[in-house]
Amino acid sequence: MTRSSEAVAGRKPQSRRWRRFVRGGGVELVLLIAGILFLWSVISQNIPNPGRYLPSPVSVVLSSYDVIWKGLLPNYIGQTLWRLVIGSVIGLLLGIPFGIALGLNRTVSDMFYPIMNFFQSISGIAILPIIVVWWGNSEKTVFVVILYTCFFPIAFNVLTGVRSTPMILVNALRTLGASRLRIVKDVLIPSAMPHIATGARLGIGYAWRAVIAGEMLAGRRGLGWMIFTAQDADLTAQVILGMVMIGVIWIMIDRFALRPIEADTIQRWGLVQR
Amino acid sequence: MPAKLVVDRLSHHYPDEYTGEDVHALDQVSLSVEDGEFSAVVGPSGCGKTTLLNILAGLLPHTEGSVQVDGREVQGPGPDRGVVFQEHAILPWRTVARNIGHGLEIQRLPRREREQKVQEFIDLVGLSGFEERYPHELSGGMKQRCALARTLCANPVVMLMDEPFAAVDAQTRITLQEELNRIAIATRKTILFITHNVDEAAFLGDRCFIFSRRPGKLKATVKINVPREQRIWKDLLSEKAYTDPRDEILRLVREEVFDDEE
Repeated sequence: MTRSSEAVAGRKPQSRRWRRFVRGGGVELVLLIAGILFLWSVISQNIPNPGRYLPSPVSVVLSSYDVIWKGLLPNYIGQTLWRLVIGSVIGLLLGIPFGIALGLNRTVSDMFYPIMNFFQSISGIAILPIIVVWWGNSEKTVFVVILYTCFFPIAFNVLTGVRSTPMILVNALRTLGASRLRIVKDVLIPSAMPHIATGARLGIGYAWRAVIAGEMLAGRRGLGWMIFTAQDADLTAQVILGMVMIGVIWIMIDRFALRPIEADTIQRWGLVQR
Repeated sequence: MPAKLVVDRLSHHYPDEYTGEDVHALDQVSLSVEDGEFSAVVGPSGCGKTTLLNILAGLLPHTEGSVQVDGREVQGPGPDRGVVFQEHAILPWRTVARNIGHGLEIQRLPRREREQKVQEFIDLVGLSGFEERYPHELSGGMKQRCALARTLCANPVVMLMDEPFAAVDAQTRITLQEELNRIAIATRKTILFITHNVDEAAFLGDRCFIFSRRPGKLKATVKINVPREQRIWKDLLSEKAYTDPRDEILRLVREEVFDDEE
């Protein structure tokens, strides 16, 4: 008797986790991924010279064995993440105060709004050539591109957030005798939080693309560099491995770093309804 | 009794936001509110009631005439005048307690004193048990109680209220009106209450100022001779001391609304 009830108690959390997985569409997702891999294998087997044009999933996995064994892949991923983190932290530190400062004055923000919109539309890849002209194939070039890429979406979204603060909240604080600085701290920044979070997510997302592109043209080591050199060496399996890693790592950054920050502040305040 | 709020020949013009035409919102308005008095401003929509409140609050600069609170000319917003807005003026990212204590935080009152004061006003407006809730978890009526407590807690000389109950349902409104009456008596606040609802004005006010259509002018002043302690809806509806001045106010306001049809 005791044994069987222990067994039931022991099995319970596992089955709960399974049910959550099923309810969250986990089964469908696994089937979808399996389907894509299957289709990929079928195509790979029916074209001439798949090693050059489209290596099968199995050979991609096997090629990863080689780069992991030599310690290259972890090293490259670390290098790329390091560039992303430094670049986007500086981007956030500059972009958020800049966006807030512009948003404080209506005339100034009206003037800067189209300019900010203009620059945020020019992607990092589009400015890479001129940066290479200025700073050559150096580490500096990669950082400048990342910084540029995340600065404008962050600053632009923060500016939008500050501008869309309901006037009545600002007025309520003014009638309580609040100073300008306090209005910024207690009203404008919290009110702009959803936009700040969106800006950060967009900016870091763009920066993730920019760092890969930057590494291809100007970097040493890193995932982008790996893809580029693998193509030169005719190692298509490694090129695909690099692409897959880029996507997988981004999903992990988004899921475990960016989304929780958003959920923690904004949803608790009821600013975004789910 | 000394007047706490004195408005003297106040006029206001502003250019229309879209057409740029000159709008004459207020015309030579003179009125005064005495210490501890509850005054109600009532008039048809577009009579410049909200413009008047914004000028008194210091949110809108005035060019003609004067506005004095406690003998000092109003220049910009200040903690001597507390405002309760129509709706949604409490901060969604602050809990009830932190919203209510916001004015005292700005006045840099020490934490312990502040918390004591905040609790006092939470109890006064009947929000006990909701201290740590966020505004989105509250009903419309509770949000307005919170806004009212925030203004009261900062202890202004004069309280200005801009149709604070316009956005809540009829049942809640009746309760809030009785509660506000009780709170106003308990705190002895000097209040200027703006509304377009004649019953509300007559129920709450010691005196009611009736405004004409634009340009807003003070058309008449009606005194309500029911002691505020006796104002409960179910008793008041059959009381001549309430219904007579209420009907008078209704007549005066209707003249403004239906003027075109004569």
